[in-house]
This record gives sequence, structure tokens and C-alpha cells, in this order.
Amino acid sequence: MKTSPYGKIPGALAAGAGVLLLLPLAGIDAFFLDVLTLGFLVAVYAGSWDIVGGLAGQVSLGHALFFGAATYACALLTSLAGWPFPLAAGAALLLSTAAGAAVGTLSAPLKGPFVALLTLVLGEAAHEFFLGQMFFSPRGGYSWGGEGGIPVLLRGQPLSPWAAYYSALAFLVLSTWLMLRIARSEEGLFWTALSGSELSARASGVDIQKHKRRAFMVGAALAGAAGVGFAACVGRATADDFSLELSFQAATFAAVGGRGTIVGPVLSALVLHSLLQGTGIPPAGRVLLYALALLVTLRFFPGGVAGTLRERARSRRMVLPGKGEGR
Amino acid sequence: MPPLAQVLVDGVFTGASYALMAAGLALILGVVKVINLSHGAFFTLGAYVAYVLDSKGVGHPVAAVFMAAGIAFTFGVFLGKSFINPVRSHPFSVAVGSLGFAILSEQAAQMLWGPHPLSIDMGLPWATLHGVTLRRWGVISFLLSLGLIGGLSLFLSRPWGLPLKLIAEDEEIAGSVGMDVEKIRYLTFGAASAVAAIAGALLAPAAAITPTMGRVPLILSLIVVIASGMEKVWNIFFLAIGLGVLSNVSAYLLAPGGSYLLLLGIVVLLLVARPSGLSVAAPGRDY
Amino acid sequence: MSDLLLAEGITKSFGTNRVLRGVTLAVGRGEVVGLFGPNGSGKTTLANIISGLIPPDRGRILFEGKDVTRTTMDARFRAGISRTFQIPDPYPSLTVIESVRVALLCGKPARHAGGEEKEGMEERLESLLVRTGLFSQRFWPAAKLSQGCLRRLEFARAISCLPRLVLLDEVFSALSARDEAELVGLMRSLHREKGISFLLISHNPLILEELCDRVVAIEDGRIFWEGKPGDLAKYVPAANHAHGREDGMQEEG
Repeated sequence: MKTSPYGKIPGALAAGAGVLLLLPLAGIDAFFLDVLTLGFLVAVYAGSWDIVGGLAGQVSLGHALFFGAATYACALLTSLAGWPFPLAAGAALLLSTAAGAAVGTLSAPLKGPFVALLTLVLGEAAHEFFLGQMFFSPRGGYSWGGEGGIPVLLRGQPLSPWAAYYSALAFLVLSTWLMLRIARSEEGLFWTALSGSELSARASGVDIQKHKRRAFMVGAALAGAAGVGFAACVGRATADDFSLELSFQAATFAAVGGRGTIVGPVLSALVLHSLLQGTGIPPAGRVLLYALALLVTLRFFPGGVAGTLRERARSRRMVLPGKGEGR
Repeated sequence: MPPLAQVLVDGVFTGASYALMAAGLALILGVVKVINLSHGAFFTLGAYVAYVLDSKGVGHPVAAVFMAAGIAFTFGVFLGKSFINPVRSHPFSVAVGSLGFAILSEQAAQMLWGPHPLSIDMGLPWATLHGVTLRRWGVISFLLSLGLIGGLSLFLSRPWGLPLKLIAEDEEIAGSVGMDVEKIRYLTFGAASAVAAIAGALLAPAAAITPTMGRVPLILSLIVVIASGMEKVWNIFFLAIGLGVLSNVSAYLLAPGGSYLLLLGIVVLLLVARPSGLSVAAPGRDY
Repeated sequence: MSDLLLAEGITKSFGTNRVLRGVTLAVGRGEVVGLFGPNGSGKTTLANIISGLIPPDRGRILFEGKDVTRTTMDARFRAGISRTFQIPDPYPSLTVIESVRVALLCGKPARHAGGEEKEGMEERLESLLVRTGLFSQRFWPAAKLSQGCLRRLEFARAISCLPRLVLLDEVFSALSARDEAELVGLMRSLHREKGISFLLISHNPLILEELCDRVVAIEDGRIFWEGKPGDLAKYVPAANHAHGREDGMQEEG
């Protein structure tokens, strides 16, 4: 029975991707191009949260920690240590992944709400630290840090808006494909199991600590990758990259899109972010609207958009008993 | 630069208010059985209420306390009834939802009053002992906190407090003896939120009033509740005072940011060292 | 010691409540041992300790001669001790076949991504489902199964990796007569063919008399009798008491 359970959705996604491919050629405004480019990165960030908080059920309220670690690593390594960007990017990815392993290990013995609390506190700690921390350049007597942030140095020619756009889009498509593959792999099955019933998972031989840690590592790595892209596009790392608002957004996009579906969070992040930023609403207003969307979703549509759709598809797929009931 | 003694005394007064918040959080944890991340938002609400009253010429703390309590209770009941109660059984929804409410309030406050710190006049000092100034806000905070905590302790140990203890320990029995468990839950949520707002109104004269000012008290209350549990109300009082002193002293010695980092570090240590924490959320299974 | 499992001197308290007081229990290779006791006797706690869900305060567990007292439940599953739960907790978002696949994937020590290896596993999975009568429901969401089928799913999960010892925790209670008969037959054939040992926990003396080689009676945290199943009613008053009641108590599944 290998008919696609997703109906027309892959087709719709492909069509959407096609539209996005052609947008710059249609002469869209540079501002909107920029908005979408960032939107692609935010979408990957949201998907990376879903790996940890949706698939593996480890609700993280400090996901920005991994994002900010990457942006700051890029900034500090290029500006202070003079590294070329690709090298700094690689180091940033490693750092994010290591942070994921650390957080995963610390949070593995904790029950749900306490995982949320621990991650929230860690994210806030990073934010507070970098808000106040000043860094001094080796020679030129520059000091960076605090609210102004730290610049990211890209040697050579700056990325043209079109190049940034298409790179980010390719990154989004590739990452989403990767995340879906992982979700459908053995590891993904273990994550679904341990988030669904930790008891049954343990009784089935699932090493809970190990797999929770892995989920965090994968999620952190992808968030870090998004951070690297962000650092390259925006050219600056600021303490906001660690902010609670950013962590909160990840959870919001996942809740609205549908926790555990990967595609749901990715799409909702892309749509919501691009829409709200594109219409020029100030940051405070945007976050307020996200919070409202979250509360309404959690109260009335706990499965989010994709989650609700998936439930309906699943119950249609179920082979119902004919006569002679439940054998 | 105030001498250390002043910092200590102010820390005690601050801690007394935090004790109120922590007690409220413990109540919510015990009766509604959720970790409420919106608790800090009510603190902030109380502080802004005090600010608004002050800017309109009504500077007396007691007026601020009553207004703050009233408004917060209304909001708290609304939140408890419309959101917290229905989604109680989904830990994800509660944690992220209450955080969402907190962030929503922060943004709303920022839109209404801007991100910059506001302040209220501290009022004339009441007394000065050995170079330490006791101000009106401090003394009232301490006395009110003492009274409310004492009242709560008394309430829980007498028959009136039985419904709450019953719900905390065994919901099924509570329901089967005819208690409207849902109603008691959202009323408790409202009352606890009111108490948090009272704490905010009391501390407003001593603090820089900003939209995100509720985060530190929230973390602090969480520390107290995790470390001392929900059972002994007086433990909460003394632990909160201790933390208030610690917080003030560290803000004096390090920067205010350093104080926040210290508190966050304490939370991490607590969670890592005591992974069992408290048993929260959905009723456990009997194996 | 040629015992498969030896739980020695197991003591456990919850707060001031002394649930187990120095219990010693052994299961031999290929043996079916029954653990009989009323509610509150400590039998479930003992099962939890043997399977690794909770650690004992004192005592040790030896499995195939090795000390496994400090190992986790999942490690014990991989080592060959599995268990079923009295109240199954099915995965809310997995189908029946996926639920069993989780266990099958964990039990294999080394997994190679080779295609043949994977096919072999799928075959084993399907034959396991056929064997436990779940094949026709394999694409159902696990959470939607009836109580009898949930028990079978528990069973399938527990035997999926051919363990040496399976703890069956009240697996027959509150089942319809037909479900119970099928499950009994399943257990018997597994015992015969693969020589799997069972530790059967039940408050139903009839089941124990029918299936066990040896029965152990526990009360108040202590083992006070051990012997042949036929003698259970003679020496254990609680069994006698329950004997009369159980006859009329078969519920529909």
C-alpha cells in the first residue's frame, strides 16, 4: 500500500517553490527580495526547532541559543581573529552542534516543563551575557559588543541580493528535504516513539538519553546553519540573536504550522515572517501578533495547520473493520 | 553609593515582595498543576498600574496595591478560565502559551509606554537607623508580605483551605465530593496573579519600570518554588528573602546584568542537580 | 548458578512505605514462574525493579550471571529481559506496525544499511504480527486498538527480539474469554518453540495453575510460599478466596 498519503501537497509545494524561483525575474522590489531571503533562513530555523520540539517532543524555549552561537562565532572569528568566512562558518556549525549536545545531555533527565525552563534560562543567560560583553579588536582599537553587536567580515565582494536570495532558497529546499528524510528515518522513528510514550519506548529498548541528545544536536546544527546564513546576509551579530523573542518565535511557528510535521513550521515561518515584515509592521507589533496567533492556535487548533490536515488524512487511511469486529 | 547595610535591608524588603510572587506561583503549581510562565507579566502589570496612578497624582502605595490586585485578578481569572484550564493537560500548550501571554504583555507595555525605564517617586524616608534609610515602600512591602503569607499559611491549615489542598493532592476525590474543581482552579489562578501584581506595585518605587522587568521576579519565584517545594509556606518566605538579598547584593557588587546571570545560573544548577524536580502536569500513572 | 535470573535481597521503600522487604526470586532457563499476590503486596514494584524501571534500595539482580542492577530498562531489553505493562501506553502517533518496528530496531545489536538486512527485518516484523493476530490491523493507529489487541501489541513488542525472559504483568486480566485463550496459546507455543522463560504476575490463581511450572506467593513485601501450582490453593488463603470469585468474572474485552 504505497500510495502517497499526502495527496496533492508535494505538488503544491513544488509549485510554490517554482513561484519563488521566478519571483526575482518578475521584477520584485529589492526590499521584498530581502524580506524573503531572511524569510527562507527563518523557515529553516523554525524547521530545526520542530526536530527537537515537534518530533522528539523536547519543548525548547531557548532555541535561539544555537542560532546566536553561530552568528557570534562568525562575527567574532572574522572580525577579531581574522578568519576567512567559510572557515568561520564551519567553526560556527561545529559550535552550534556542540551546544546542542550539551543542552541535550543536560535536559535529558528532565521532565517536559523543566526542559522548557532549562532551555529558556540558558537562552536568557547567553542573551544577558552578550548584551553586556564588550570585545576588543586585536590592533585597531575598535570595541564591539552590546547592543551594537559585532560585524561579520566577508572578504571579497559582498553578496548581491539575487545571489543571496537564490542561495537562501536553495538552502531552504535542501534543509527541508534533509529534515524530512531524517524525520522518516530510523532515528526519526525513535524520536516519535520517545516523545509519544517514553515508557513504551524504554520498554522497547530505546536509549532515551542518547536519542534526545541526538535530536538536540541535529536541531542545533540546522539552527546554526540558519545563523551562518543570517550572519552572511545581515553582516552583523547582535544580542537579539539570543533573545527570548526569537526563541519564542520558533515555538510559535511550529505550533501554528503543526508540531512534528516539519513542513508546517517551515511554511508558517516563511509566510508569517514575510507577511509581517513585508508589510512594515514594527518589531513590537510583529511579536505581539505572533503571540496572539500562538494563543489562538494552542487554544483552538492544537495540531496547527499541518497537524490538523494530517490527522484527517490519517483517519481516512485507516483500514476499518468490516463485519466481525476488532480481531 | 549606598553602604552594604542599606543594600541588605533593601534586599530584605525586595525579597518580601518576591515571597508573595513565589507563594502565588506555588499555589498555581499545586492547585492548577502547571508551571506558569506568565507570572512575571502580572508583576509588571502591578508596577505599571502603580506608575499610572502616580503620574495621575495618586501616589499612595495602598491605592496602587488595590488597583493592581483588582485588575490582575480580572485578567488572571480570564486567562485561567479561557486558556489555562482548557489546555492544562497539554504541557506544551501551557508552557509555550503562558510564555506567549507574557511576551504579548511585554510588547503591549512597550507599545503603550515605550521601552525606556520609568520611575516613581520613592517617597520620604520614614526612619533612619545607623545610616540605613527605611522608606515607605520597603516597610509596607515587608509588613504586607508578612501579613499575606501568614494569612495564607493560616488559610491552608484551617478548614477553609481544605478544598485547595484536596485538589492539590487528589483531584478525583475533590470532584466527587462536589467541589467545582475548574472554578477553584481559575479563581486560584486569578488570586495568585493578583498577588504577583501586588508584589509589582509594592516594588515599583524601588525599581526601574520597564516592559521586561517581570523576567527576573519570574526566575526568582521559580527558584524558590523548585528549591523549597509547595508544602511549607514559611520556607517560601525565608528563601525568597534570602534570594532578594542575594539579588540586591550581587547587583550592587556586579552589574545588574551580573545579578540576573547569577540567578539564571542558580536555576541551571537546581535543575541539573535535582532532575526529579517536582511532579507536575498530567497525573502520573500507577504502574 | 544456572538460574537465568536471580533477584536477591530486593528491598524498596517509597517514603515511609516499605513495599519490598528483602525479596529473593529466581527464574530458571525455560521455566515459567508465577508471581501471585493481592494488590499492594509489592508484586508490581518487584516487576518494575526486575525490568529496570526503578532501582532497588538494596539487593541485586543477576541475569545470565551478570549484575544488571544498575542498568536501565532499555539496556535490559537489549540484554534479553522484556516486559509488558498492565495498562499499555501506546504511542499516540504511530501505527501498530511502526510500534513494533521500534522494538525490533532496538534489539538488533549491529545494524547495517544493507538492503538484505532490512528486508529480513520487514519479514520478521510481518510474521510477528501474523503470529500475534495483529496483521490485519497493522496500519491502524496503535492508540485505536481494543484492550485485547493492545495486550497483544504489548506481547508482540516484548517478544520481538527473542528475549530470554519476559515479564508478563497482569497480561490476562480483564480480557474476554476468547482473547485470553488466544494469548495463552501464544505464550505456550513461544515457550515450547523458543524456550523463553516467563515470569507471570497475576492475582488470578487459575491462570497461574494452568501455565506455571512453579508459583511464588508474595504478601506485604515478603515471599511467604513457593511451590507447585496445584498446591497454590492449599497453602495460600488469598488464592482460595479468589478461586470462587474469578469464575464469574470474565469480562468482555
